[in-house]
Amino acid sequence: MSAMGIFINLRHANLLAGKTVRLAAMLGVTLLAGCKAITPDGGVNEVAELTSVAVRQDLVIRDEDSADIIEARLKTLLLRPLSADAAVQVALLRNAGLQAAFNELGIAQTAMVSASLPPSPTISVARLSSVVELQVERQIVANVIALATLPARAEIAADRFKQAKLKTAEKVFSLAADVRRAYYQAVASQQTVAFLEEAQSAAQSASELMRRLGTTGAVNKLDQARDQVFYAEITGQLAAARLTASSDREKLTRLLGLWGSEVKYRLVSALPQLPPSAKAAPYIERDAILHRVDLQSLRIDLDVLAKTYELTNATRFVSIFDLSGMRNTTREANGFRYRTTAVQIDVQIPIFDLGETKVREAALTYREALNRLQEKAVNVRSEAREAYRAYQASYDLAKHYQREIVPLRKVISDEMLLRYNAMQIDVFQLLTEARQRIAANVSAIEAQRNFWLSSVNLFSAVVGGSSGSAIAKTSAAPAGND
Amino acid sequence: MLNRRNFIGTAAVLAGATLISGRSQAASIPEAQTMASPNMQPPLFPKEGREYQPVVTLNGWTLPWRMNGGWKEFHLVAEPVIREFAKGMKAHLWGYNGQSPGPTIECVEGDKVRIFVTNRLPEHTTIHWHGILLPNGMDGVGGLNQPQIPSGKTFVYEFVMKKSGTFMYHPHADEMVQMAMGMMGFFVVHPKEPNLYRVDRDFVFLLNSYDIDPGAYVPKVMTMLDFNLWTFNSRVFPGIDPIVVRRGDRVRIRVGNLSMTNHPIHMHGYDFAVTCTDGGWVPESARWPETTIDVPVGAMRAFEFVATEPGDWAIHCHKAHHTMNAMGHEVKTFIGVNQRDLVKRITKQIPDYMAMGSAGMAEMGEMEMPMPDNTLPMMTGTGPFGSLEMGGMFTVVKVRDGLARNDYGDPGWYQHPAGTVSYEYKGEVKTAPPQSPEKKSDTPAIELNVKKPKGHTGNH
Ligand SMILES: [Cu+2]
Repeated sequence: MSAMGIFINLRHANLLAGKTVRLAAMLGVTLLAGCKAITPDGGVNEVAELTSVAVRQDLVIRDEDSADIIEARLKTLLLRPLSADAAVQVALLRNAGLQAAFNELGIAQTAMVSASLPPSPTISVARLSSVVELQVERQIVANVIALATLPARAEIAADRFKQAKLKTAEKVFSLAADVRRAYYQAVASQQTVAFLEEAQSAAQSASELMRRLGTTGAVNKLDQARDQVFYAEITGQLAAARLTASSDREKLTRLLGLWGSEVKYRLVSALPQLPPSAKAAPYIERDAILHRVDLQSLRIDLDVLAKTYELTNATRFVSIFDLSGMRNTTREANGFRYRTTAVQIDVQIPIFDLGETKVREAALTYREALNRLQEKAVNVRSEAREAYRAYQASYDLAKHYQREIVPLRKVISDEMLLRYNAMQIDVFQLLTEARQRIAANVSAIEAQRNFWLSSVNLFSAVVGGSSGSAIAKTSAAPAGND
Repeated sequence: MLNRRNFIGTAAVLAGATLISGRSQAASIPEAQTMASPNMQPPLFPKEGREYQPVVTLNGWTLPWRMNGGWKEFHLVAEPVIREFAKGMKAHLWGYNGQSPGPTIECVEGDKVRIFVTNRLPEHTTIHWHGILLPNGMDGVGGLNQPQIPSGKTFVYEFVMKKSGTFMYHPHADEMVQMAMGMMGFFVVHPKEPNLYRVDRDFVFLLNSYDIDPGAYVPKVMTMLDFNLWTFNSRVFPGIDPIVVRRGDRVRIRVGNLSMTNHPIHMHGYDFAVTCTDGGWVPESARWPETTIDVPVGAMRAFEFVATEPGDWAIHCHKAHHTMNAMGHEVKTFIGVNQRDLVKRITKQIPDYMAMGSAGMAEMGEMEMPMPDNTLPMMTGTGPFGSLEMGGMFTVVKVRDGLARNDYGDPGWYQHPAGTVSYEYKGEVKTAPPQSPEKKSDTPAIELNVKKPKGHTGNH
């Protein structure tokens, strides 16, 4: 029984804690099947292991046995306003697309077993903490790579199964990232609506007062119309913001896989606070090279090809870092090796003497795969750099709003009220100022949302999965002054 | 409150308590005196030279002088000062000898006057002696009559007083800025014959104006007419000293205007005679009676009355907005507008909001609300019957029986004899029904919209 098997069982125990007799039955099955051919989970437990820290959630195949437990767990999750983590968990339990991917993985495993290949190798991993930190992600994805870079003598079918697991892991990463993006977007839109409602209320008060001043004859039609049009405009803005919020929420609902009365799920009322500082990531490019599941999948392509064409005579090995142009490597006894906090990973790529094969197609195909791998490696580095820069910049901007602009707006509001008390300004200027303060708060929320979106994008750039689109810069902030 | 200060050298610091004697007497330049208090100082009776009845300066003082070889010597120091406008507000101004306005200079017709002017400002300055007949080279227009006095330098003005009268002094170098910063003072020349035009009490003050943003301390020097603080001697009500008068005294009030607009100064309770301008004494046959005297820009008007009527008589500029402290000119008129139901909604965005102005502005005079730093309420002050709702150019002439000859101390509020105060009528009041303002439609019936166009600051 491998350490990995135990680990997976622990995760199940965690998920199903305090549940029925079925728990024991399932555990038994898993224990028995741990190192055998076809497992009841169809390889999903290994994917769970691959992704466990990165998405910090449980992966369960939905079938007759687990359905009740899943539903019970869902009910509990939906009782409270969803946090980002809870949203991811809901999606992992419910998103049917992901379940379909799990089924595919089962098919791949069946194919492997029918080819009578030896059982999956086992690796040892430590129990990992559940904090989304790149350090930790590095560990778990290192495990992915360790799985994927088994000795070249492994059979093709096993390689293909490993690839299938990596692809499934990628899907988990993608779904988790998409859910988080949709979640932050939905929470921010909802928050913006709340602020715009305040702005609209301020505008409404001003407009109503103006109307009354018109009745006494203190202001003319021009001033009244100016205030009314502002109120009308901000009402339009609010309607647009409500529409955005509703479609943002619906997008999240789809990813969560919820329907019926479940769609009444609640979100927390505000985005999470910014962390005290942005994460430093001096090795972000190397991290990405080590962790990206799509890159590792291409790496396996090479193994498969080597076996397909029976290339056996590796003349030399290159590091994947060499391939992507990274030079600051650590030389160790037997080639280039990289040490991470968790596992040592072999990222050597065999280069064959392609003269040994008479088949021209084989040589070209292998070279093609090598070039694809290289292209990917270079792009992965670039994507990591870009994502980190965006992450850092969005952190600075969000902090700037939080530290400078919002507090200054507060000072202005306070001073304006004092001026009002001193008969220097009237209530209209106070209300205009209130709207400007609200606009600043809306911008601050956008900045905060963009930070969280970019932190998800950074995560995706390092581990793989959907990259997310460029972060919207449009502002729903109400116009400041009339 | 008179402080000694030495600008010349360490020797003079050791000078004794006697002002014009001893070491400072021996010095080539009189010691510069400085004033720390913004309150009215007692009149300065001459200890030598020709005799005269000295003036008192509202919230001010007279500059001590010394005789030196037949010359009456004064020492003015142009310098940055902090002037309290009223309790709760201090302005960062430029002035002379510790205050703005500077000390009043008093001398006598025929005196040979030598005035040392030390410049402690960051830029050059001069002094122009407004209305005084003197040699052209002493007139103080920088660049025209003399080189400007550079920072840190001392210049000397010397002239003989050809006539008695009421004059002023102020810079004529970067004049707009230096006057907007508060540099000005009074200059009184008494008649050689001490009984000529003699009065029992003689008050002087200047009219000036400042534009100090609420919460700020320094005047906006580029403001032309839209000032927000209208002052008697750089003070606003309730910070202006009362004009205290003994019943039966003959009283003269001399008002010089170095602000940028005219001020109709109105005194209650009396009609008075205008007896002097900065051009000279008005011959008795030409004096004219007034209750309000309009003091033009750059001019002085003195008027006299015999204080026969006891009481607390208001004296103020009759431009009503000049008897207010800083106010916002863009504040709309909320009279007749019910705001009560909106307050709850507005306080959602502005938690400490209080509706004001629905019935007029009088409530401002009573309300105690947090205000910007260094800002006085627009209208304030309390009298014996309640809120006075005033500010700016307003004070009280207090005529009392039984004051000592030179007692200028505040005697408190007037005690009215029984049955001499306006009282409420308790009977039935029959009047025509009031015009109802309620019936108006959204479009007011008032067709004429009398409103000054924005941006045009007009007359003040
Ligand atoms: Cu006036």
